[in-house]
Amino acid sequence: MSIITEGRSGQKVLLMGNEAIARGAIEGGVKVCAAYPGNPSSEIIGTLAKIGPELDIYVEWSANEKVALEVAAAASFAGIRGLAAMKQNGLNVASDFLFNLNLTGSIGGLVVVVCDDPGAISSTNEEDTRAYAKIGDLPLLEPSTVQEAKSMIPFAFELSEELGLPCLVRSVTRISHARGSVELDDPVPLSRRPHFNTGRPLVNVPALAFHRKLRAKLHRCRDIFETSEFNEYLGPEQPEALIVASGTPGAYAQETLNLLKAEDRVGIIKLGTTWPLPESFLVRQLRRADVILVAEDVDTFLETNLKALCAQKGRELGIKRFLGRGSGTLPDVGEITPDCLTTAVAEILKISYEARPPEYARTAQEAVSRYAPTRQVGFCAGCPHRAAYWCVKTALALDGRDGFLVGDIGCYSLGFGPSGFEQMKTLHSMGSGAGIAGGMGQLARFGFDQPVMTVCGDSTFYHAALPALFNAIYNQANFLMLILDNSATAMTGFQPHPGTGQNAMGRQAPVVDIEAVCRTLGARIEVADPYDLQGTIEAVNRLLVDEKGVKVLILRQLCALVRANRGEKLYQVRVDQERCLGDGCGCNRLCTRVFRCPGLIWDKEKGRAGIDDAICTGCGVCGEICPQSAILTEEI
Amino acid sequence: MSEKGGLKSLENGVLAKDLCVACGACASLCPYLRSTDGRIVKLHDCDLTEGRCFDYCPRTEVDVAKLHQAVFGRDRRDLDIGSTRRVVGARAIDLELRNRGQTGGVVSTLVSLALEEGSVQAAILTERRADLLPRGRIVRDSREVVTLAGSGYVAGPTLEALNGGSFENEDRIAVVGLPCQITALAKMRVSALDRRTPIDQVVLTIGLFCTWALSYGPFVDFLRKRVGRAEVGKMDITPPPERLLLVTTDSETSRIPLDEIRPFVRSGCDVCLDMTAELADLSVGTVEGRCGWNTVIVRTRAGEEILSRAEAVGAIETESLAEDYLGHLREASRLKKYRALKALEGKGYTDGGYLRLPNRLKRRIMSCGDEGP
Repeated sequence: MSIITEGRSGQKVLLMGNEAIARGAIEGGVKVCAAYPGNPSSEIIGTLAKIGPELDIYVEWSANEKVALEVAAAASFAGIRGLAAMKQNGLNVASDFLFNLNLTGSIGGLVVVVCDDPGAISSTNEEDTRAYAKIGDLPLLEPSTVQEAKSMIPFAFELSEELGLPCLVRSVTRISHARGSVELDDPVPLSRRPHFNTGRPLVNVPALAFHRKLRAKLHRCRDIFETSEFNEYLGPEQPEALIVASGTPGAYAQETLNLLKAEDRVGIIKLGTTWPLPESFLVRQLRRADVILVAEDVDTFLETNLKALCAQKGRELGIKRFLGRGSGTLPDVGEITPDCLTTAVAEILKISYEARPPEYARTAQEAVSRYAPTRQVGFCAGCPHRAAYWCVKTALALDGRDGFLVGDIGCYSLGFGPSGFEQMKTLHSMGSGAGIAGGMGQLARFGFDQPVMTVCGDSTFYHAALPALFNAIYNQANFLMLILDNSATAMTGFQPHPGTGQNAMGRQAPVVDIEAVCRTLGARIEVADPYDLQGTIEAVNRLLVDEKGVKVLILRQLCALVRANRGEKLYQVRVDQERCLGDGCGCNRLCTRVFRCPGLIWDKEKGRAGIDDAICTGCGVCGEICPQSAILTEEI
Repeated sequence: MSEKGGLKSLENGVLAKDLCVACGACASLCPYLRSTDGRIVKLHDCDLTEGRCFDYCPRTEVDVAKLHQAVFGRDRRDLDIGSTRRVVGARAIDLELRNRGQTGGVVSTLVSLALEEGSVQAAILTERRADLLPRGRIVRDSREVVTLAGSGYVAGPTLEALNGGSFENEDRIAVVGLPCQITALAKMRVSALDRRTPIDQVVLTIGLFCTWALSYGPFVDFLRKRVGRAEVGKMDITPPPERLLLVTTDSETSRIPLDEIRPFVRSGCDVCLDMTAELADLSVGTVEGRCGWNTVIVRTRAGEEILSRAEAVGAIETESLAEDYLGHLREASRLKKYRALKALEGKGYTDGGYLRLPNRLKRRIMSCGDEGP
């Protein structure tokens, strides 16, 4: 029972962008929802998972995004509506399926929501996934507000069914994670029994014929977009300049003109359907002015396509002056902010405007440094990953052969930074650590003599590390794989995964046992507790000297946040300040300077270490590293 | 004014330059350095600008005159082999000790006696287990001493046992060590830094003659290829011109030409000035050409006392050494010094590197070059 399930038509509610998308899915009559979690997309399926059973919607956390899209597509193939959600990297994983799915087409409404992360706020890249729409000849919608994020989903389902194509909806962090006022509609009444028509196989051979069909669908889509309510022109009949914007810059553009009091000088072409472009609509609007500022996140997708359109329609439109990211008027990378957009428009209109006066910037900086403690991006207090990386660092130093560790995506990615003692030396995509280690593990024949380790989390193991592990075993690569099994998809918000014994809707599920899987594959397996530093270091060193094949060390310890949320603590920890050496030779603040668990504090006055009881999760690891045994751990 | 530094300086000046001799003086002082497989390994960065690791290291500044003053309370007299009270030939009376010892069983006898009579309560010796890795070992029972006799020619962190050992306040301690380790002990004595090791409880230091020591890892890999997995017993080097390393196992004695071993000599040994452990109370080595006898250089009153008592209780017999033998000893010692300075030059240390030598000594050493080494 929640506003998302109960709200009725006309009601205005405050929703987070991803909740709005979830509500939109309900209004659009979705029956099957699947995703692999990833910021900023996770709350879409997170929201639906909670209410799925109540509304008779099937919701699952899939092992990866490709599988998620396949699961949602299966619903579509059986004539009901499916939705898959993912972050930008996820669409890469799903793309192999997507670029065949576009050819076979879909049946029941199929919507793929991709949440991009301009500025890479919680990602390893700021990839602009809109290019997929163009490559795959797929319809693309871009909401500019939380309201649109909701409204576009039922429209996308209808469009998908009308065209027989999956529809892409591209959100961004500032939509997905923002809250806004949303006017609700009632869910469409649909009662379909899923059934797969065996007389209509979905096989895209011969591909060329299907490609021709796909192009025809895209042209039909363009016609539909010409009159779409998601595209509009706001402004005077004859403006001095035009802003063409999609996504959050669409909303920023209105703020900008309001701020500069330039609503009567500049017009805004706000586009919600960005592929295929509604050409006739655009030609009509672009005639209004010759200076065109294109505001979009992240690439010059609109800008480039608009330029192509203007070249095509040169006779009608004349020569336009394009400004935007391509011209350097807006920043080349990162998010479009209201500040940078306002500065750009002010410059075009020759209005004197300072987005952030230096005096204000200084005051703000002072206020921040006074009231907000400096926080490093790092592992939580008591995180078993910190202990694991401590062991990796120690073991590699003791091994002494310039060994190293390659990794991939998860909480443990932070191993590249100080809180993981800078141990992770490569960081790319889900599961790429195991693949790279497999490649490194083949180089001995050319004289490569460094031991190679890789690390992956439990959730990443299921997602994409498994094929790399098969590959390494089959091709007899030599490396040590650490699986940091904290029994949680912690980084994205504790979603259950195949190892947790629970499914998305909170029901009991079989546990896919990582250890048994690896053993069956024929890897040498050991299991250790990363909180037991000595035991773990010894295990790593023992496995590193074994030069035959793939070794797997499962480091099993519950995520410290999960334990803390349960109100559990292993130890009560305190510092005997008499015994503590502080910054003296023999210690030099090993705990607060090198180990740096946030639960440890440096008592400047006394020159001794201390424990922050409010933050300490009682893992007890600092007691093990203290050379003076001054950190006392009492079992609770 | 002596040079000051912390782990960073030790890392840059010693570890990275491959000058470390794995003596163990910096180990078990802190969580930043660990000895493993005969190597000293830095685990984490330490930003102290002054630390014991740097202060005690025998490959950071060694001011020969200053250390000599600190240990002997007077200037260095003998330029070739350091201060001496007397130099004698000696051997254990006990046949078992003599046989199990490397040469004459003198070291084992003296340490056993010191423990037995209670002039020391603990001795830091070097243990070599089946893996051939030397480890420091605290011995409190005199009967244990003989089980640790013999040399493995491999450098190991013996002093770690002093740094990390638990001793009673009233314990007096004897240390048996290589020249680098005896130098480190002297540096511990003069160090002005807080949190001293139990160095002030060390009342007797017995130095072992040394021309070089081997790197554990590479040497053991080599040895295992030569002699297999069999347990290695006594190891010995035959005198010139033969110069063979004899390695005894249960089944056989392997005879390995020394030239095959030389690549495994620690690079830090090449720059070592000290063949006879010049800062020890008493130094013990082998008399070339006099089988079963040790050369003993008595340097201090403490050294004299333990040797005299051993003679008095009939544990040791001594004999005077021939003049020409003493000449050979001096020449060998001077030659090691000469080679060390040349090696330092070869590594680019034109100013003598870590060594601070009195001019008189420097001239004496360089005179080797005139004679031709």
